[in-house]
Amino acid sequence: MKHKKAKKYGMVINLDKCTGCGSCMVACMAENNVPFRKDESDKLLSITWMRVYKLTNGKPFPNTDICYLPRPCMHCEGQHEGHSPCVTVCPAVATDYNIETGIVSQIYTRCFGCRYCMASCPYKARYFNWWDPVWPDGMEKYLSPNVSPRMRGVVEKCSFCFHRYQMAKEKAFMEGRRKLKEDEYQTACTQACPAGAITFGDLNNPNHAVYRMVKPDPKHHGRPTNPNAFRLLERLGTNPKVYYLSSREWVRRVGDNYLKNESIAKKTVHQG
Amino acid sequence: MKIDRRSFLSFLIGGAAGTTLSPLTWKLMDDSAIWTQMWPWTPVPEDGEASYVNSACSLCSGGCGITVRKIDDRAVKIEGMKGHPLNNGGLCILGLSGLQLLYGPTRVWTPLKRVGKRGRGRWEKISWKGAVSEVAETLGDLRKKGQSHTAGIISGSDRGTVPRLFDRFLTVYGSPNLMRTSSIIDSYELTLHLMQGVQALPGFDFENADFILSFGSGIVDGWGSPVRMFRANSTWCNTGGKVVQIEPRLSNTAAKSDKWIPINPGTETALALGIAHVIIKESLYDAEFINYYSEGFEDWKRFVLDEYGPDSVATITGIDSATIIALASSFARASKPLAICGRGQGTTPGSLNECTAVHALNALVGNINKKGGIFAVAEPDYINWPEVEMDARAAVGMQKDRLDGAGSKKYPFSRHLLNRLPQAINSGEKYPLKALFVAGANPLYTMSDSKAVKKAFDKVPFVVSFSSYMDETAQNADLILPNHAYLERYEDIPTPAGMPKPVIGLSRPVVKPLFNTKHTGDVIILLAKAMGGNIADAFAWNSYDECLKETLGYKWRVMVEKGFWSHPDFFVQTHEESFDTVSGKFEFAPKETGSLKQFKPVKIEGDKTNYPLLLIPYDSIRLANGVVGDPPFVMKSVDDTVLKGTDVFIELNPKTAGEHGLREGQLAMLSTPVGKARVKVHLFDGIMPGLVALPRGLGHTAFDDYLAGKGINFNELIGPVEDSVSGLDAAWGIRVKLAKA
Amino acid sequence: MDSALIPRGVKRCSLWQFLLFISVVGAVLLWGVYAMLLCWIKGLNQTNMNDYYGFAIWIWADLAVIAVGGGAFFTGLLRYIFGKDELKSIINYAVLIGFICYSSALLILAYDIGQPLRGWFIFWHANVHSMLTEVAFCLSCYFGVLTIEFIPLILENRQIDRVPFFHHLSHNMHEIMAVFAATGVFLSFFHQGSLGGVAGVLFGRPFAFREGILIWPWTFFLFTWSAAACGPCFTILITKITETVTRKKLVKDSAIELLAKISGWMILTYIIAKTIDTWYWATVTAPSLGQTLMDFYSNNPLYGIWILFAEIVICGFVPAAILITKKGRKNSVALWIAVILAVVGVCINRWVMVLQVMAVPVMSFDYWAMYFPSWQEIATTILPVAYGIILVGLAHRYLPVFPDESELNPIETLPAEEEETVEPPVDLEQELKPAGA
Repeated sequence: MKHKKAKKYGMVINLDKCTGCGSCMVACMAENNVPFRKDESDKLLSITWMRVYKLTNGKPFPNTDICYLPRPCMHCEGQHEGHSPCVTVCPAVATDYNIETGIVSQIYTRCFGCRYCMASCPYKARYFNWWDPVWPDGMEKYLSPNVSPRMRGVVEKCSFCFHRYQMAKEKAFMEGRRKLKEDEYQTACTQACPAGAITFGDLNNPNHAVYRMVKPDPKHHGRPTNPNAFRLLERLGTNPKVYYLSSREWVRRVGDNYLKNESIAKKTVHQG
Repeated sequence: MKIDRRSFLSFLIGGAAGTTLSPLTWKLMDDSAIWTQMWPWTPVPEDGEASYVNSACSLCSGGCGITVRKIDDRAVKIEGMKGHPLNNGGLCILGLSGLQLLYGPTRVWTPLKRVGKRGRGRWEKISWKGAVSEVAETLGDLRKKGQSHTAGIISGSDRGTVPRLFDRFLTVYGSPNLMRTSSIIDSYELTLHLMQGVQALPGFDFENADFILSFGSGIVDGWGSPVRMFRANSTWCNTGGKVVQIEPRLSNTAAKSDKWIPINPGTETALALGIAHVIIKESLYDAEFINYYSEGFEDWKRFVLDEYGPDSVATITGIDSATIIALASSFARASKPLAICGRGQGTTPGSLNECTAVHALNALVGNINKKGGIFAVAEPDYINWPEVEMDARAAVGMQKDRLDGAGSKKYPFSRHLLNRLPQAINSGEKYPLKALFVAGANPLYTMSDSKAVKKAFDKVPFVVSFSSYMDETAQNADLILPNHAYLERYEDIPTPAGMPKPVIGLSRPVVKPLFNTKHTGDVIILLAKAMGGNIADAFAWNSYDECLKETLGYKWRVMVEKGFWSHPDFFVQTHEESFDTVSGKFEFAPKETGSLKQFKPVKIEGDKTNYPLLLIPYDSIRLANGVVGDPPFVMKSVDDTVLKGTDVFIELNPKTAGEHGLREGQLAMLSTPVGKARVKVHLFDGIMPGLVALPRGLGHTAFDDYLAGKGINFNELIGPVEDSVSGLDAAWGIRVKLAKA
Repeated sequence: MDSALIPRGVKRCSLWQFLLFISVVGAVLLWGVYAMLLCWIKGLNQTNMNDYYGFAIWIWADLAVIAVGGGAFFTGLLRYIFGKDELKSIINYAVLIGFICYSSALLILAYDIGQPLRGWFIFWHANVHSMLTEVAFCLSCYFGVLTIEFIPLILENRQIDRVPFFHHLSHNMHEIMAVFAATGVFLSFFHQGSLGGVAGVLFGRPFAFREGILIWPWTFFLFTWSAAACGPCFTILITKITETVTRKKLVKDSAIELLAKISGWMILTYIIAKTIDTWYWATVTAPSLGQTLMDFYSNNPLYGIWILFAEIVICGFVPAAILITKKGRKNSVALWIAVILAVVGVCINRWVMVLQVMAVPVMSFDYWAMYFPSWQEIATTILPVAYGIILVGLAHRYLPVFPDESELNPIETLPAEEEETVEPPVDLEQELKPAGA
């Protein structure tokens, strides 16, 4: 199969391997100059581009089970390319869908903080800078020049470490190559995950691990055909580029909303 | 010209209209927008040349390789080292946030001397020269008075060059009191010593095992070398390896395991022996190993068969007998089964009985020193310094009993019993401790029964901390001689516990020391030189770096190049050469362990009438509870069902909560025989009714505002319980009372 | 002192009484301004908004004032386009209320955004696909139209009107008012609609999401419709309140009754449409996304099914029933109840479409988020109310807002000296400033 020239970077997270250790969260914060405050226990005010949710099956002792689910930005494709919930609503084009990579960007200097994108995102993947970012004296030394720290009053979110893509492209260009190797562009969370639960790559490329793991169905906006794979809130038609793998049925069911007697196999994609 | 009101008004209105329509307005609008995009109070990181430095992480004993990304002379990101035998690119949450410690506000910038009362936080800066000579003087005085044995050291480790320099210093100075912080490794060392007759560390070949029987070990909660364990867990996902987790609470490890078997806390020994019973009864054991390489099996067999039938074990453990039989069968029938112990992260040693019983399971299936099994790993002997020449004073001092009772008649096999130190100081039964060095440890936070530990510290007239950070112990010291932070110094990182083959990591300076700190190795050498005589003679090196290079010899080059050194021709011992016991075989029932006594659960503190519930700690990889606490990033990852504001949550089964009339989020008062704490309630179905679980790692009083004052330190609620054989802390919990607050 | 500025043939309270009234409301206004400055200087951390509640009370207030301000465009439509002349008794007031509502909406938007100095990016870097862009453009344009509609009224001030230029300007503007009214209707249709679209297009939020025609979700039409239906009720309500406060009849019954009747039928048709929309959404749209109606109305401390009942039945069918019957309209108490219910109804609708949308969890493992505004948010939300009251007070005192007032409240004896006490024109303009502010 000849694949399209454009890339569609996506992520596959194996929930069987994910231990909820939080390395992805911190790797992301360290990579992307995410600020922090003295009290971060109010999670509705805590900027975590990558957030690990703790899911439970709701059964009483001793049949209880838990599963961790890391949630980056889903970089939704929407019903047609670029029709992400947030991109369509941003009034000032401060968040954009990159056709070349499929990555949803956030332009901090363009954003004027209306927060409409946050309202539009069912994954709560977008965070607002309610405060000026402040680093304790001396700690601003570790800030990376590759990602600009955000100012108060703008929205931020996971960028699939887009700067790493740019750096990889630059490097390839300097070496006279036009194509990136599979492992040349990896997000910080993918790299750091000690369990190797995260795989990142081009969903349009059948040779990439991500493609082989989920076998996206191009006729249905990349819906996974691997029965153990699922996307969060598949039925909304947001068509995320983050896939999850789980061998546990209850985990896959938690990934979307179902009516009481509805079976999980019925995957109606809403055509809004 | 006369300006009347009307023309003035027209001028104003006209002017306003004109200004609005002029380009000035638009320019100002644009300027203001640009200004918001580069507010001077929002930092703009300077760009520069990127480079990478390989080093080793020493924030825990995991020994992961790290690669630090630098921009000019700033370290900007820590990543896992690719190709490192332990972590191969991955890194834990604490390791990833290390730069927040390096550049953070908790660093001690310069040698400090206490001013005013201890613990008040008032310090004066002193010079290194002044600091060293003050220590030398104090130690010299003690020595002159023939009290050299009243000096002691609490060290995070007794391996590697820096702990060994301390050891050397103390020996030539004349004190036997180097005390290592304890963990499950102590129990394992003792087990290997008693059952196999070797002085070695336990090594587990997890990667090749296919059935892990874990007695509460937090495989993915920070047990052993955490990243290696995460990777092993993923390996089992791929290879179909099975994990059975036995513990009363659904930990992350239990959730990841293939089967979680809740057990009455503290009855793990009985379960291990019950499993042994089934294996023996059904003849599922490795007959070759038992017949040719073991000793005392018959006695042990009789004892196990008599006392630990599945039904009686079921009564003790709360696990039904069918499950026990099935578990024994699948363990014994697995091709590479492996049983491990050490609750949570293994920060407490636990009872020796438990460790030997679990180890006996490994012997039953014959997986000692075998692929996929447990190894006795001898320390690589790279530290070969000339013997010290002790003078008379030193010789006398070294003859004295250790203050903690390790190696005494009562506990002849134990090497370190730090848990007994507070009691020894507080009771004053032996001799007082007059000078105490603390390096690589934070006993005022990590030792149980915080009040007693604090009281003991208060009795020591001279406490010196070598910490890089203002931790609880440093706060209560008389003198702080700050070490370089781990990213500013050379140091060897010896084989992490649990590794089946030797790997030595090299920590090396990623950045130049930021502050007026000094390598602890250098301080020891300077101190020795300041004291003169035999002591100075024992430290011939000019600097620590020289000592390290000389010590490592040819390995140095390899380590500088690769970042670590691993034994190239490490080989697996055969059973013939494995055992150094009197019989030369594996000892199933060493008399000392008391395995042949009727199983008695470790008697934990508290009576059932006043304290109807059981309090157990739980460990999380997101809560550092060792030498350092959580940096801000890691604190940020802590769930709001663990900590909210400054309140910590206990986990409570909804049933137990209902019996106590407690709802989610409600405040409650926990009281144990040791202490009290105000907590919030979190209902969790995954915990056995009747239990209360509290996380370790919170309740710091030191470090920065991002960490201090949040939650409760578990050690304030629990005290040590001495194991009757080893003397190590065998407490796994404490009885507790819960009331609405 | 200011009697020369007061329209002819009407009676007003003493200046001191008036100033006392203004200063009491002014104090509230200053409190609001203080809170507003806090939000600007310290940032939106002054609010209780969070990452779940990115839209909160301000957006609700915005939507609500625009909805109830819909009386201006709809009355204008009836008066100028459909030629309902009875409404000239109330049109001025409708325009004034509209002006207050829309200026308030713009003010709220100015402190609701995280980077107020970049607010103009919405025009400069406009994303034409965003409903919010549509709102911003139509809203600003319509505010311009309202200003133009409001100006002639200002020019009718007794003293300004004496200036021939202003007199003629005012006259000419009246002549072409139909054009502006038509423009206003057009713009209103789109910005009221696009405000509905703001919620309706959120296909990631099943609670808000609605199907529709082309790019417009059903909420687009429902919002316009409800604004047209309930806006006049708000105009009537404010008129009634003003009449109660001034203890005077200001608008002819025929105007009120006509407006109430039209409003009643509008509400009825709207609420039927809304019921159909809700039914379709509850039985088709939501279940196709795996959610049932009760998922949106349970497991939380506030949002029960009562809110839907209150919005549709109590604040929808009930006022409609009152207003479409002659008996209901004629009965003063019933009319009061009906207009209050209608206004509350549209405000509930806007609340639900903003705050409940934020509260409802979408991911099955997420949770309901509750929110209560901070005092800064409350103060800044009350700020426009205080501003509105002051503007109404000033307009009522100095402008001929109610053309029929003197006819309805004839003054027995006209003080003969009034004409003589007129102060010289030079002073007048100075006095003008507050009225123009």
